Amino acid sequence: MLNRGIYKHYYLMLLPGLLWLAFFNLLPMYGVLMAFKDFNPGLGILKSEWIGLENFKYMFELDDSKQVFQNTIFIALLKMIGNLIFPLLFALMLNEVKNRLFTRSVQTIVYLPHFLSWVIVAGIMLDILSYSGPINQILSLFGVEPTLFFANAPIFPWIVVFSDVWKEFGFAAIIYFAALTSINPEMYEAAAIDGASQFKRLTSITLPSILPVAVLLGTLSLGNILNAGFDQIFNLYNPSVYSTGDIIDTWVYRAGLLDMQYGLATAVGLLKSVVGLVLISVSYGLAYRFANYRIF
Amino acid sequence: MKKNFKTLAVGLVVALSLSACANNTPSDNPSSNLGSNSGSNLATDVAVNPFEKFPEPIEVAIGRGIDPTYKYEGEDTAENNLYTRWLKDSYNIVIKHEWEASVADYGQKVSLAIGSNDLPDAMLVNETQLRQMVKADQLADLTEVYNKFGTDRLKQIYESNPGLLEGVTFDGKLYALPETTLPSAPLTWIRKDWLDKLGLEAPKTLEDLEKIAKAFIDNKMGGDKTLGIVGTQQGGSLYSTFLTSGDHFMNFSPVFFSNNAYPGIWVKDKDGNAVYGSTTAETRESLTKLRDWYASGILDKEIGLRKSTQEVITSGQAGIFFGPWWTPYNLTDSIKNDPNANWRPYIAPVDDAGKFNSNQATGSSYIVVKKNYKHPEAVIKMINIHVSEKEESYKTAVGKELTSQEIPLFLIMGLGDQLEYAVKSTQKVLTGEMKLEDVDKLNYGFAYELASHVKNVKTEPFDNYDIQYWDQQKDPDFFTHLYSHLNGGSTFVDADINYVKSLATAQTKTMQTKWTNLKKIEDETFLKIIMGSAPIEEFDAFVEKWNEQGGDQITKEVNELK
Repeated sequence: MLNRGIYKHYYLMLLPGLLWLAFFNLLPMYGVLMAFKDFNPGLGILKSEWIGLENFKYMFELDDSKQVFQNTIFIALLKMIGNLIFPLLFALMLNEVKNRLFTRSVQTIVYLPHFLSWVIVAGIMLDILSYSGPINQILSLFGVEPTLFFANAPIFPWIVVFSDVWKEFGFAAIIYFAALTSINPEMYEAAAIDGASQFKRLTSITLPSILPVAVLLGTLSLGNILNAGFDQIFNLYNPSVYSTGDIIDTWVYRAGLLDMQYGLATAVGLLKSVVGLVLISVSYGLAYRFANYRIF
Repeated sequence: MKKNFKTLAVGLVVALSLSACANNTPSDNPSSNLGSNSGSNLATDVAVNPFEKFPEPIEVAIGRGIDPTYKYEGEDTAENNLYTRWLKDSYNIVIKHEWEASVADYGQKVSLAIGSNDLPDAMLVNETQLRQMVKADQLADLTEVYNKFGTDRLKQIYESNPGLLEGVTFDGKLYALPETTLPSAPLTWIRKDWLDKLGLEAPKTLEDLEKIAKAFIDNKMGGDKTLGIVGTQQGGSLYSTFLTSGDHFMNFSPVFFSNNAYPGIWVKDKDGNAVYGSTTAETRESLTKLRDWYASGILDKEIGLRKSTQEVITSGQAGIFFGPWWTPYNLTDSIKNDPNANWRPYIAPVDDAGKFNSNQATGSSYIVVKKNYKHPEAVIKMINIHVSEKEESYKTAVGKELTSQEIPLFLIMGLGDQLEYAVKSTQKVLTGEMKLEDVDKLNYGFAYELASHVKNVKTEPFDNYDIQYWDQQKDPDFFTHLYSHLNGGSTFVDADINYVKSLATAQTKTMQTKWTNLKKIEDETFLKIIMGSAPIEEFDAFVEKWNEQGGDQITKEVNELK
């Protein structure tokens, strides 16, 4: 209470964010009721008939659900790992380059794709990997028969992961760059005097110094394990890769918006949110434990 | 060219704008139509003039699909243009847009509006959406206003299209005004200039088609990257289904039809019981055929993956695809790109008995009015106006052909035989067999328009519709209309087509929950089989799975509909 006056402006600054949260995330929550109802738009959410767990029961009966959850977790997990490792590697490598102009321009160029919409990137990907696209033309120089990457179910999730990492690694690396600049240069100087090689300095000083950041980002991203990226996959997939590429969000889109099965789609979405909530709690606990990171 | 119709959706809308034009035909004697209507309505208990101007401005808030590439006159918009201003000035009907969505996103936007129960006063919906809204009790009962305010002309149109109003009457209540769908069947479109160059005959059977495709590829008719038969693009369907029965542009339906297979719709098996066409042995055979074609390179390798199949048509890479009679509306770019591109439709492939089969297109678009909307009669009046000949004042105000982009709540509304009449009368006027004045302008306004422009556009010989016998420059707006009607339309109306109608034309109870899943396994299995990433035996597993996961139950329900 003593510090109240000092914190006032902080609370004020927090207010718009809190309002946004309340209006766009908390208020619409009552829509989850639809998951337990035979939703009839004419009656509205409150007046529709309760059907208990019918929607959930049906969801688990569907052959689809298992596959869709598996796909989602597989793709999201790979993305998490990729988006953790590649930005880190990239930041470390670029950190060793001494030419400022070069590092700055590379940094700028690699984070540009982050600002492109998936509609555009997907269009480019489809062209590059098309039957007569550049990749297949290069492969044919080595006598490899052209293949259709986007009709190949085993390959599809890897393309999704790869293109996501390609699009995001530059932007994700920014945090590592910030962490790298905060390392005390005196440590490097001392190590150099003691005769540590460049590689030794990397493994003994740089890595341990930014490891907490990496651990933190890694654990926090756990909460996203059921978000495999709707707009990316929606723009890339087709029926022949449903078996590996159909994720919760694309399925909910087809069921909820195209086929108007509101209750079922809400049930699946709700389950996704519940799992997400549990994971975020777990990852917060882990982050506190291993990286000493806490919000509250 | 003022209009540039690139997408299927736009093409369709415009192909169909013929009836808009039909209804916009300036009239020399407006009194004849208006007079008779008001006369007959006077006879009813209340003296209602279906065209009377409202004493006060009445606002109609609609949801509207917009073609973002459409060019309006001057500063006009979809909400404020010649037509809407005229509606306001002459009838006190004020059009407001509750929301707008591009043609591609329109269906999704409508579904959202239904789901959130945040409805505009009136909008266009499809059949699934209509049923959902009826079930949710969101719609106004139009029975009374239709009977009271509908003009004779409107009623006459529905009478000449039997079954239409019955289809939208639930428990004795009329809940929508349906479109009078033009008949449609997928024809085979081929570059005849390539056929001629190679000295090939017009195709009849699937085998002929295969030979032609192979010849096109071997002789590199479209350059090094010549494609054989192209069709379905990303997000598209391999064939039209019972929910999208008129979807005949750029897919592979004819390959199935020629084998008496009707995937995607409900047909009768030999015992007369309902069976889902996608699960039959004939469909399996057709898939085998497509699979062979794909393996041998006759089928486009990137079926289902291309962002736009029309691109390869326009660029001249491909010479064969399937599409309905109005396809030329979407070929303008191809012709512009290569003036020799002589696309001609063929009644092929036929089945073993020599019959040409197609599924039958059923309902498509419906005007619905929100329950509790205070002035449903305003919507009925709008349709009255839309289907009737316009007054003299309108002629001077508009003086231009309008399309669905100007006219709100645009539906194709015409007598059942409008296409056939338009084609036949235009042909006869061209050859001089019929005088322009003898064309029934009152009932077939657009046929009259076509007939009055045909001589600007078509050169001799009059019965040859190859591209070199057309004048594309003199009357470019009407070139597309006439080229579609004479090149595509005449082949279609002369053809002897064996139509197969789906036993169910809307989702049954079980379908509402299980269809997403069933459709998913169907789409996935079929595409994989064709592309060779799954063996043909996968089809049998699919049928079993399909029945197990709800297909059995659904088939039972369809059987009860019969």
